[in-house]
Amino acid sequence: MPAERRSLRSNNKSDTSSSANGEKANSNSQSPGAKDKAPTTRAAANKAKSAPTKKDAKGASNGNMGDDDKSHTNGSKSTENGVNGSEDVEMGDTAVPPTKGSKSSGKDKEDDVTMEGAEDVETTEPEVDPTTKAIQDIKSNFTLLERAVAHFDPRFTLRVLRSISSMRKHLTPEVLAEVIVETYSASSSTASFLLEALGQTNAFENAPASSDMEVDSDKNPIAQETLAEVDAYLAILVQIYLFDQREIQKGVQFSTNLIERLRALNRRTLDSLTARAYFYYSLFFEQIAPLPPSPAAAVTTIRQPLLAALRTAVLRKDVDTQATVMTLLLRNYLSTSHISQADLLISHNPFPVAASNNQIARYLFYLGRIRAIQLQYTEAHSHLIGATRKSPASPVARGFYQASNKLLVVVELLMGDIPDRAVFRQPALERAMHPYLLLSQAVSVADLDGFLNIVNTYSETFRKDGTYTLILRLRQNVIKTGIRMMSLSYSRISLRDICLRLGLDSEESAEYIVAKAIRDGVIEATLDHEHGFMKSKEVGDIYATREPGEAFHERIRACLALHDESVKAMRFPMNQHRLELKSAQEARERERELAKEIQEGDMDDEDAGGDFDAI
Amino acid sequence: MSDLQSLVSELHGAIERKQFDVANDLLSRSKRALLMQNALIPTSSTPPQLVVLARQVLELGALASIRQTDAQLFTRYYQQLQPFYDLERHAGLPGQGSSKLDFSTSQRSKITGLYLLLLLSMGDSANFHTVLEGLVEEACLKGGSVEDDACIKYPVELERNLMEGSYDKVWRETKSERVPSEDFGLFSNVLIGTIRNEIAGCSEKAYPSLPISNAKNLLFLESEGAVIEFAKQRGWILRDGRIYFPVEPEATARSERDILVASGTVIENALGYARELETIV
Repeated sequence: MPAERRSLRSNNKSDTSSSANGEKANSNSQSPGAKDKAPTTRAAANKAKSAPTKKDAKGASNGNMGDDDKSHTNGSKSTENGVNGSEDVEMGDTAVPPTKGSKSSGKDKEDDVTMEGAEDVETTEPEVDPTTKAIQDIKSNFTLLERAVAHFDPRFTLRVLRSISSMRKHLTPEVLAEVIVETYSASSSTASFLLEALGQTNAFENAPASSDMEVDSDKNPIAQETLAEVDAYLAILVQIYLFDQREIQKGVQFSTNLIERLRALNRRTLDSLTARAYFYYSLFFEQIAPLPPSPAAAVTTIRQPLLAALRTAVLRKDVDTQATVMTLLLRNYLSTSHISQADLLISHNPFPVAASNNQIARYLFYLGRIRAIQLQYTEAHSHLIGATRKSPASPVARGFYQASNKLLVVVELLMGDIPDRAVFRQPALERAMHPYLLLSQAVSVADLDGFLNIVNTYSETFRKDGTYTLILRLRQNVIKTGIRMMSLSYSRISLRDICLRLGLDSEESAEYIVAKAIRDGVIEATLDHEHGFMKSKEVGDIYATREPGEAFHERIRACLALHDESVKAMRFPMNQHRLELKSAQEARERERELAKEIQEGDMDDEDAGGDFDAI
Repeated sequence: MSDLQSLVSELHGAIERKQFDVANDLLSRSKRALLMQNALIPTSSTPPQLVVLARQVLELGALASIRQTDAQLFTRYYQQLQPFYDLERHAGLPGQGSSKLDFSTSQRSKITGLYLLLLLSMGDSANFHTVLEGLVEEACLKGGSVEDDACIKYPVELERNLMEGSYDKVWRETKSERVPSEDFGLFSNVLIGTIRNEIAGCSEKAYPSLPISNAKNLLFLESEGAVIEFAKQRGWILRDGRIYFPVEPEATARSERDILVASGTVIENALGYARELETIV
């Protein structure tokens, strides 16, 4: 299995390097990858379109063609980063709560790098003020939102959300205030609500002084009736700004009010925005004291609103919010180790199948964790495999990828498998997984003392990763592996030797343990109580059994399912088949005409022939 | 409040004297009193003394039910106690100011230990680990481990030995003085029954045959007569002072049928692949 997974991933990687376009971030799971293809490329085109206009305004008149090309690639690259980033921010935050500080700083750095890269290329053009650029970006997103509403197409909204992370660096209260002032009339309650959170309540008085205002003033009447989507989008930007500034208290206040507002609205085009708002809402609450592990943590207070949101979302068939809120609730319950509640939530609520890839990955991760705690390793294993495969491949989402892989390795060990060595060799995992590598080595050589040593040495790490209790359960697996190895290498061994080799307390224990191993099917052997030895049975030829056939069948099934999934994930433009029908019709008509002509021609020929004959 | 206090002390006495009828009656009366004061579930507005009293009532109820071997009732009390223990968990965390509540009388570890043991004796290991996970996490935050608590350590060790297969250790644990209190002893018989069945199951697979005298030791039975009795229950064959375990009718007869079944599935699979391939092409 792991080999299969790896090859999937490595395929992706090679794709990323070879393709210049930025769609790869999502393609490690089949479905959304294909879904996102269209918007990304289109976004790239859009960017490219906007870049030349900027240049024109500045009056730069260098060789048009070449420059155009450059800005094209530049644009698509930055969207690519944007895509990755936005997935990651969430992913990272979700997966590794304790290391949030370091995580976000890492992410910032990542953003820095990409932003700088983009700017370096841009310096060949006249300098663009980041503030005006940010404002422009936000405004261009408004049109996208409007289009989303007009066409009832969530793809535009998703594209807007994806651009958030690239914009994140440039968000300042001034930028936001300016946008708000230009979008709303001074009397608007939404505007004052947003401005209050930014601490820019007097923005309207200050605004007319700026000269940009006049240019835009003729636009104002059009924008007067702002869409609820635009409101939500700006509110999310405010949330992000507050979060980045660590103004948690303010954020809590603002988010609570925002959620109240969004709850009153019932618009399907608002769904993905609402989901995002809930995400930051819960993130804010996780930051305020008392912190999660305590059962009286602040997060427990938002369970009620979140459950209400879940109910509403289900009734409205609002898949985005439903998925987001469910993962948030699970995270919430698990953070205070209310595992049975989380389990109940899962058993009573089906997770929407159409949820976005990241939400599914997150859900699978939590599900895997819960099942692992409940000793349902097989189920946990399949969920965790799904989570690791669906986790975004971009470097900033490493937190999630690592966390799910750690859990996966432990579950594999608990199932009696030894994880593939190559899992630990991936550059994204190598360092983080080091303790787990040692652990699996100890289990695979059945070194009980070494195993206990490792558990003691790294107990802090394991506790932080939340795998400690699972690892404690591994002790019996170490013993089982030991017994299996002995049964393979000796045809007959005394219980005394088994006891010594495994470091057990007594021969009696050894006898019981071996008996249990035989019953559980770990080894094929018999015990002789009177003489105190274990006698191994002849190991049959595995290729004489049905096992290889079954494994083969399993793989074929997986491949077929993969194929089906990819077909399902393809995007079929609406009414495309009619076009095809039409062209088919045309082709048929043309053919008919052709046939007619030929017929006529034939006639001519025949006539001619006839003539000829006649002659 | 004061009559509740007297009710609690009466209850204490009744349980000490093992007058469970009286205790049950007192319990329902005190629970009613708690309900009247709206204190069955602690809220932030409940006065601390009342919270303590409510917890005591429920704890005594739990103990009374376990002594009457009423598992269902005990589970219910345990669930009802959870909100109270959540308060305690919260207060026990480092960095929390000392709360007004008095936890010195709390029997949390004992009740939790008993609950764990109950789950273990019922073979509900999924729930066992779910509860344990929470405890371990809490202990980690305090910088200790769960095993610092004798009442928790006992079921945890038992579980570990059971899973590992060291049944002799389980046997010794249940017999020895290591049982933390007499309430824990109530489960010993159940546990011994469990391990005996486990051992019997293992022996069937592991040994071709076994002398009766050895089986007596293995199964922790008192006498050879008991062994014979037990063997009859499991359907083992006794001959010449040895136990012969019934061998499953395997080998030839089964393998033939196996092949038939296998070929069926192989054909089915192959047809499936063909169909799928057709749809793809």
